[in-house]
Amino acid sequence: MKGPVETCDVAVIGGGPAGLAAALGARRAGAGKVLLLEREKTLGGILNQCVHDGFGLFLYKETISGPEYAERLIEDVVREPIQVETGAMVLDLSPDRVLRINAREGFRLVQARAVVLAMGCRERTRDMIEIPGTRPAGVFTAGLAQNLVNLQNLRIGRETVILGSGDIGLIMARRLAFEGVAVKGVFEIMPWPGGLERNVRQCLMDFGIPLELGATVVEIRGRDRVESVVVAKVDEALAPVAGTERVIPCDTLLLSVGLIPENELSKRAGVELSPLTGGAVVDETLMASVPGVFSCGNVLHIHDVADWASYEGFAAGEMAARHAAGDRAGGATVRVSAGANVKYALPQLVTAGTAGVELSFRVRRPARDVRIEVTGRTSGRVLARRKFPRLLPSELQKIKVQAAIDEDIEVAGHE
Amino acid sequence: MSERMPLDRLTCVLCPVGCELEVRKTEAGELDVSGNQCDKGVPFAVEEVLRPKRNLATSVPIRGTAARMVSVRLSGPVPREMIFPILAEIAKLRPEAPVRRGQVLVSNVLGTGVDVIATRTTDGVKPPLPQKTGKVEV
Repeated sequence: MKGPVETCDVAVIGGGPAGLAAALGARRAGAGKVLLLEREKTLGGILNQCVHDGFGLFLYKETISGPEYAERLIEDVVREPIQVETGAMVLDLSPDRVLRINAREGFRLVQARAVVLAMGCRERTRDMIEIPGTRPAGVFTAGLAQNLVNLQNLRIGRETVILGSGDIGLIMARRLAFEGVAVKGVFEIMPWPGGLERNVRQCLMDFGIPLELGATVVEIRGRDRVESVVVAKVDEALAPVAGTERVIPCDTLLLSVGLIPENELSKRAGVELSPLTGGAVVDETLMASVPGVFSCGNVLHIHDVADWASYEGFAAGEMAARHAAGDRAGGATVRVSAGANVKYALPQLVTAGTAGVELSFRVRRPARDVRIEVTGRTSGRVLARRKFPRLLPSELQKIKVQAAIDEDIEVAGHE
Repeated sequence: MSERMPLDRLTCVLCPVGCELEVRKTEAGELDVSGNQCDKGVPFAVEEVLRPKRNLATSVPIRGTAARMVSVRLSGPVPREMIFPILAEIAKLRPEAPVRRGQVLVSNVLGTGVDVIATRTTDGVKPPLPQKTGKVEV
């Protein structure tokens, strides 16, 4: 395509809790033209269907629902001269930051000085966890069910089984109990719940919904509609144990079996992804392997709390604005790796000599009285140490390294 | 310390320590909390056993706007046993647009002292002043 191309300082892709904050962060850091692109008709992303409370505890110091949290961020965005476009889908992103956008007025190209990736994530499906059986109607991911019930007033079934105890699954168990749906049980393959303790208590125990750990769905039965599922215990290798099967009649199966960062555009731009997080490999400025491309929120790694996705968004937006203004620190980087009982640590790269880096991490399994240590891999020097009375895989945690980091480091847990 | 079965086992959520609390009834009929590493765990556990309070959120159909539903919650927590009676009250609601975030749809619902409030603005958040750039539809 020839002719003048539209330009902007910072283009933010995605208008959820991370993207809204990124647009604000970019603007507050002095970016001139900020473009916020959202493919849905409304801003807010997944917050719109999360009608339960528990949002905003950190950002707004009170507990509010998802839609309220979204509106408060949107109010801040519309007060700023940020160019907001809804119904605008970014079809492609090139390594030199040209966005191909299918917008309301048609297709166009935008050259951005910096891009913030904030596309969020999507749910793992039945096919991804390969549940055997027939292929009847009535199998939903938990988030899809949440959308159908909360936003579209649809009844999804009468008797349901939930596979996976992630927070969305737990919250949907309660939501369906409210609607008079019989929730026959939540089955979790791991020996511990996937969601927050509070949700296990308030969404399951309050309503007498059983939670069975170390068990999974091994077969879906039914011709046109789900008629039953077969559940079985699993062994330590998470393989079903023969002879433990039992049939549970139901007409609906909800899946809450994990979230995957939605990085198709990132891949198009040549962004290096981490197999541990499913998101971009970033440095301490949240910049990916492609210069000028930043990442935040659930597209970077899965968060348990929306507030932290927003904090990451503010930071990514600010860093993108600085990059757009020509502030390029750069230099050699060192690697951050995950050691004992740490699933991943982020950022994965740190510019050598940087002090005060805050690392996010997640543990692999629940642990009590843990000492998390950040150690130099060459010197063996402990750069940071923090004691945690209790760590759960469902909770994203942080540790700050005050000292300058000038060698590869490892984050590990010691019990 | 009673030999009886615990009335409840729960994880204290007041701080990151997350003590595993057990609540038992003593011979004298009083509640005995064990497992707590500080004093705050006791009233927390007793309240959870005797009079747990919860907020609740749902959505109701709305007329006069493109959105089919408007989400609602309570302005504060209520005794847990009030959840289903309040849901039945909320199910009767058929609000008309426009509805604003925070608008009271039922005040003092069933005499609980809390209100049912809308949690979103049906026609979307609009900029306070005309803008040179941007189209916002929320």
